[in-house]
Parts: sequence; structure tokens; C-alpha cells
Amino acid sequence: MAKQLFEWDYAGFPGAKTYPHLFKPIQIGNLIIPNRIKYAATEENLNGRDGFVTDAGVAYMRERAKGVVGGLCFMQGVYMDEKRQGQGYVGQAACWDDKFIPGLKRIADAIHDAKAVAGFQLMDCGRVGAVDVEYGHGPSAVPQRLRIFRPIKEMTKEEIKEMIQQHIDAARRGIAAGFDVMEISGIVGYLVSNFISKYTNRRTDEYGGDIRGRMQAVVEIIQGVKAVCGPDIPVGIRLCAEELLDDVRGNTPEESMETYKIAEEAGVDYISVTLGWQESIYPVISRDIPMGNWIHLAKRAKEHVKVPVQMAYRLFRPDLPNKAIGAGELDIWEMCRSMIADPLMPKKVLEGKEDEIRHCVACNLCLARLFRDAPMTCYINPVCAHETNPEFTDPPPAQEPKEIMIVGAGPAGLECAYMAARRGHEVHVYDKRDTLGGTLNEARKAPYGDDELWTCVEYQKKMCEMAGVTFHLGSEVTEETIEDQMPDAVVLATGPVYPELPGGPHQNVVNLLDVMRGTAQVGEKVVIWGNRKPGIGCALHLARQGKQVTLVGREKTAGFDVNPSFKWRYLIYLRQNGVKVYNDCDIERVTPEGILIRTYDGYRIPVACHTIVNSDRVANEALKKAVQSEGIELFVIGDALVPRNLSSAVHDGYRIGMRI
Amino acid sequence: MAFDAEKEIGKVLRGLRAAQAEIGKTYYRWRQVALELAEDGVDPLQVGLRAAERFGKDIGKSMLPRLHWLKGEAAFLLNLGRAMAGLWNVDGGVATAEKGEKPTEVFIKCTRDPWPTWAKEFGVSMKEVALCREKMLKSVLEDVSIFFNIPLDLEVQKAIPRGEGMWLIRLYKKEE
Repeated sequence: MAKQLFEWDYAGFPGAKTYPHLFKPIQIGNLIIPNRIKYAATEENLNGRDGFVTDAGVAYMRERAKGVVGGLCFMQGVYMDEKRQGQGYVGQAACWDDKFIPGLKRIADAIHDAKAVAGFQLMDCGRVGAVDVEYGHGPSAVPQRLRIFRPIKEMTKEEIKEMIQQHIDAARRGIAAGFDVMEISGIVGYLVSNFISKYTNRRTDEYGGDIRGRMQAVVEIIQGVKAVCGPDIPVGIRLCAEELLDDVRGNTPEESMETYKIAEEAGVDYISVTLGWQESIYPVISRDIPMGNWIHLAKRAKEHVKVPVQMAYRLFRPDLPNKAIGAGELDIWEMCRSMIADPLMPKKVLEGKEDEIRHCVACNLCLARLFRDAPMTCYINPVCAHETNPEFTDPPPAQEPKEIMIVGAGPAGLECAYMAARRGHEVHVYDKRDTLGGTLNEARKAPYGDDELWTCVEYQKKMCEMAGVTFHLGSEVTEETIEDQMPDAVVLATGPVYPELPGGPHQNVVNLLDVMRGTAQVGEKVVIWGNRKPGIGCALHLARQGKQVTLVGREKTAGFDVNPSFKWRYLIYLRQNGVKVYNDCDIERVTPEGILIRTYDGYRIPVACHTIVNSDRVANEALKKAVQSEGIELFVIGDALVPRNLSSAVHDGYRIGMRI
Repeated sequence: MAFDAEKEIGKVLRGLRAAQAEIGKTYYRWRQVALELAEDGVDPLQVGLRAAERFGKDIGKSMLPRLHWLKGEAAFLLNLGRAMAGLWNVDGGVATAEKGEKPTEVFIKCTRDPWPTWAKEFGVSMKEVALCREKMLKSVLEDVSIFFNIPLDLEVQKAIPRGEGMWLIRLYKKEE
């Protein structure tokens, strides 16, 4: 007899009418899940290095549990071996002993407090594990392609049996902690996937050979975990639909579908469809991959198994999974990054408040942080990983309401504006432009998905409207404006300034913003000065118009300000679009024929071009003295303080908005 | 534009040549240190071979991210051969890789090798130079073979340090 843990009625909510397929129940094993929403297990490095759950980890999960409005909410995967070979992240929760149960119970309780279904994931990181020890373990000792990962020792049969038992024991502990659903992680290069792939499993015993042999350990894990869980706790597994390892002779897509069937035969109650390994050379989830690009893999999985199929991977908008579920191509909508960016995302969908969602911009900063042993953070959500701090989650009202003038309606100014207004200040935002968004108006025109960055401004605009911010667009602030208005505080969010190139002004030099707007004349041969993100975006924008582009800049590598989990995409696109790059260089001279650059060690290189695009930015000192001379409280944020990226603008704005 | 391209390029090239010369000299200086610190009676050839093995294994690891199987076995072997030829080129040698008659073999040809010259400066025998290069290249293949699950080997058919005018190395897939 199937049971439902918590009663939910979505009938009165607008989202249930707009997306009817997302808010209808589904049975998994003997458990009825009231909707089709799942926060998928996501590492966040918020737990102790000893594997114990922390307040930060619990608070992080509590917020996500509120978001799934009764759906599935999974805590991060736990490692299960005392030797810590299966530990892939320094802040990963452990479950190799009963002593971890009380901490894990805190997470299960936090999820249940929100009337959501608590999911527990078993995750031995295998080939990408051993983060704190000398050797990792795997079915075969295949060398690592990336040096950041530890060397692998081949597991003996006894060690394989021990590993299977560790999964079973950890599942028992998860049940004791109060979790309702059990999940085995077999994705992105973790141990289960290492056994399955012919790239990493070269064994000739019963745990290797053909696909059935390579699935043998997985089958034993599934059967052992099922036996512990009994009929009331469903067991699922996350498996690759495509490994994307054809460059190293990994499994074929047909073999991957075979693994789904074998897992189903072994007794799993659902399958979560994933793709790609951390070692894959193909992008899977970055912004340059169109939304919904991978939904065909869920459809393929549905054609091969009868159990429910779940999937995440670039499904940030509710219409995509709603349509796929309606078409019978998917059963449950999984989310990771979209609920890192906005923990309440599906709740807002249900309540018909989609314009209040802070959308993930698929930059992968969250992943980049994890791989560098840092706690999770979000590019676009300043509250992420600060859920224990009420100053962040629920900033207190201002002790003394003030009249605040914010100069600049870019992402920094807007973020600061709604936060300050929400706390009770009277906020006026000025901008000489007629539109909101500042330089993001131009940045969004760069190719490979940068239009998604604009969602940040749409969210901020809505928040400002709700908080009662007053806008003065098309209104340039001068010293006289400040003298006339005499606000209690001024926030300068004016964006950067673009310094003249040496010997300037020059007729053949144009500004980056004018180029992106399409108002500047640009010749066939172009040099972009500045090898940070704005320069890269402009270089790709022009290269795709057929221009011959050379990117020159002071940074040692192009994209110094882009996080490494996304930077590699830009470097590939620069190469594919034929953009020449000179890093670690300065401008010696600008001439009518082009530009003479000087490398850091003194070599000079002439680059002929018709146009030089200046993307070099410095802090904006304008108005600072005027504000200070009037004795007005002053804050400088975003690129006006130090030219950086969108994330810094948002985080600056939020924090000053909290403090002011 | 008051810019003398020939002068600038000449300056860059001189810097490159000096750096290349330092590669070999630095290796032989360290070899000398190792021999001085080693116990009496140690065979210098064994020291050289051990170093060659270490270099080869490390170079093999660094090749893994750059090699792939996307265009099949023949293209894989040619790419690997080119990468191995490139080891001479960065040191200031001249080497290429060419397809063999069979799809499972590639020939690496090196017509200019700076290592014998450097070895002479330090009184190292040509036999050691030849054997160490062979050992290093074979060690490169170890991790590459395991990683791509393909049994690889090579045979040195000609060697500059043996007075044969060029290096000719057959890189091939072993019969399973």
C-alpha cells in the first residue's frame, strides 16, 4: 500500500494551473511524492572536515527544503569509508560510523519541517575522491588524466565486497537518521561509474568484462541497499545516459542504456539521468549549452525502463520539464544550481511569482569553489552559504531610516537599492541612461549564452518595484544634484571609466560599449585591448561577425576574472573563432596603422589593425569628493570601486544594502 | 612605426636558444650531483636510466589530457608520434612523425638532436645518451598504454649518438 508522508493541496495555486504536470503526484516504490520536483543532492563543502554535519549544512538544506513545496529534497552524497578514499570534497558529510547519525538526523528533520520528502545519497567518489588522502580507489589502476586527482589503486575482491557492505551500512544509518528515500550516486566519475565504464574498469574477474560484469558490483549494491530499505523506502540510482568519454573509449550510449535496464532488473525504484564525467572534454551544463539541450536523454531512458525517470541539466525554466512530463519524456524535474541561486525557485513557480526568481546564470562558480576546497558560494545569490546568518537571510530594519541616493542603475546599484529599501530606507536610484541594467545592457550582447545574464536585472527590477524604490532614469547626477538633494547617504554605483590609451585620443580607438551597442565603426582587423571578460565577450562578438580579431591584455591569461569552470569554454571559443591572443602585455604605442605591444619581458610586437577597441577599465573616482565635501555618508560599490565582474557587483550591492 | 622586426625576432630567438641550451646543461649538472652523492661504485648509466624513466613517466602523464581517440587508432598513433617528436623540437632538435605502412605503426624521425653535444661537454658517453633517450620514450608509453588500454611499444632503428646520422624510431601497437 503506497503512502504519502505529508498532505499537500496545490489546487488553489496559479503555478499548478500554468504547469499542471509539475504539481501532480507520482508514486516511487511505495511512496507517493505530491509533486514532480526534486532538489538533487549537491555538494556544498559546508560540513566539517571530519565529516560531521554543521549548522551551516543544516541551514543550507532547510532553505532548499522549503523550496520544493513537498517534493523530494536530497542532502549531499555521503562518503562511507573510514579510510576516506571515497571522500571527494573536504566538506563532504560522512556516514562510515553510527556516530554520524545524530548530525544526519538534523538534516532529515530540517527537510521534514518543511513537509518535504527527505532523500539520502550514498556517494563514494572513487576516481575523483581521496581528497585528503594519498591514493584513491577504483576497479582498475587507470592513470589520472588531470593531475588534481589522486593516483588510483586497484581494489581487491575483498575491498570490493567491503565497499558494497559500506553502502549497505550507510543506507542503514540513513534510515536511522530518518530519511525517506535512498539514492546511489553513479555519476561524473564517482566509484559506481568507474565500475560501469570500460574506460576505468579493465578487470577480468566477475566485476569486469562485458557490461553485465561491469555492473555486477552495482547490482550487489542495489540489492544490498534494497534489502536494508525494505518495501517502504524507495531506492534510486543516478547513472550516466552518456559518459561523453568517446575520446578515451568509454561506454557507448547503448551500453549506458543497458546499465539502466540492469539497474531496473536489480530493483531500483527510479533512475536519475545524468551525463558526462568530470574528465569529459565536452561541456554539459555551462551557459553556452542551450536550455533543454539534454532532454532527449530522459526520453531515451523512458524508452528503456519502466521506473520513473528524473533529470536536471539545463532545465532552469519550469516550462521545459512541464512540457517533457506532459509528453511522457520525463517524470521528475531535478534541480541543483537553479536552487543554489534561488532556494525557493519552485515555490515561486507554484505561487505564480516567476518574476521574483533569481535565476542561475550557469557560470559554474559553485563547482569551481568545490574543486578548490572552498565552501559553496553562488555568483548571483549573496545569501548562499550564509543561511545561518540572519543578517543575510533576513536583514533587520534600519535603525534610522535614511534618504539614500544611489547613482547608477546597474546590477550593483539595483541590488543595493532593493535591499536598502526593504529595510526601510527611502531609496532613489539615478542613472544617466534611460534604461536599467548599466553595462549589462551591452554585456548581454556577447555570444554563447550571455543573454542569460540579463535575468539578474529582471529580478532586481522586480525586487526594487516591490520594495518601493524610486527611479530617476535619464537623469545624470552632478555635484549640483547632490548639493540640491542633500541625501543622508550616497552610494556610487557608477560603473568603471575607460582610460585613454597612451598618446591618446586616437581616431582609430573606440569604446567597448559603443561596439557592443553597434554604434561604433569597426574595421575588418580589430585589436581588443583588455583580456578580461568584457574584452573576451567583445572579441567573440566581433569574430562571429567575420572580423579578424586580436585580443591583447595585461593579465597573464585571458579571462583572469572568469572562474575556471567556465573559463575553459571561452578559451576554446577564442581558438575556434580564430582570435589571436597576446597575454601579459602592455601597450607601448598606438599608431594610425595599429598598435605596438610590449610583452612583460620587453619584447615588442606590432599588430596591424583598422580599429582598436578599448575594454580596459579603472575605478570611477567621479563624485566622491563632492559627496565627501558635503559630509554625506558615502559608499562606493561594483565596478566603480574596483572593476570586476557581475558577481562582485551583486555581492557588493547586497552587502552595502544590508549595512547602510 | 619605428619598429625593427628583424631585431626584435632575433632577440626572441637568442633568448629561446639560450633557454634550450640550459635544458641540457641543467640535466647534466644534476646528473653530476647525483653521482657525487651516490654510493661508491654506482653505475652512472643506471643513474641516467633512472632519471630517464622518471622524466618519461612524467611526460607521459602530461600527454594524457592532449591525446584522444576521437579519430581512431591510426590518428591516435600519429598524434602520439608527433607529441614524442615534439620532445626533441622543444629542446632545439628537428623531428617529425610519419605514418608507417601499417595503420598500427608510426615512424619518428629526428635529424637534429642537441643532446649528444651537451653530453660531450660533460663527458657523458654516447651509449648512455642513446639508451637514456630510448628509456625515456618507452617510459612515456607506460601510462599512455594503460590509460587508453592499448599495448604500445617502440624500437630504435637508428640513433644519432650511435653515429647513424638520424634517429629512426618505430612506434607501434603490440600484437595482443
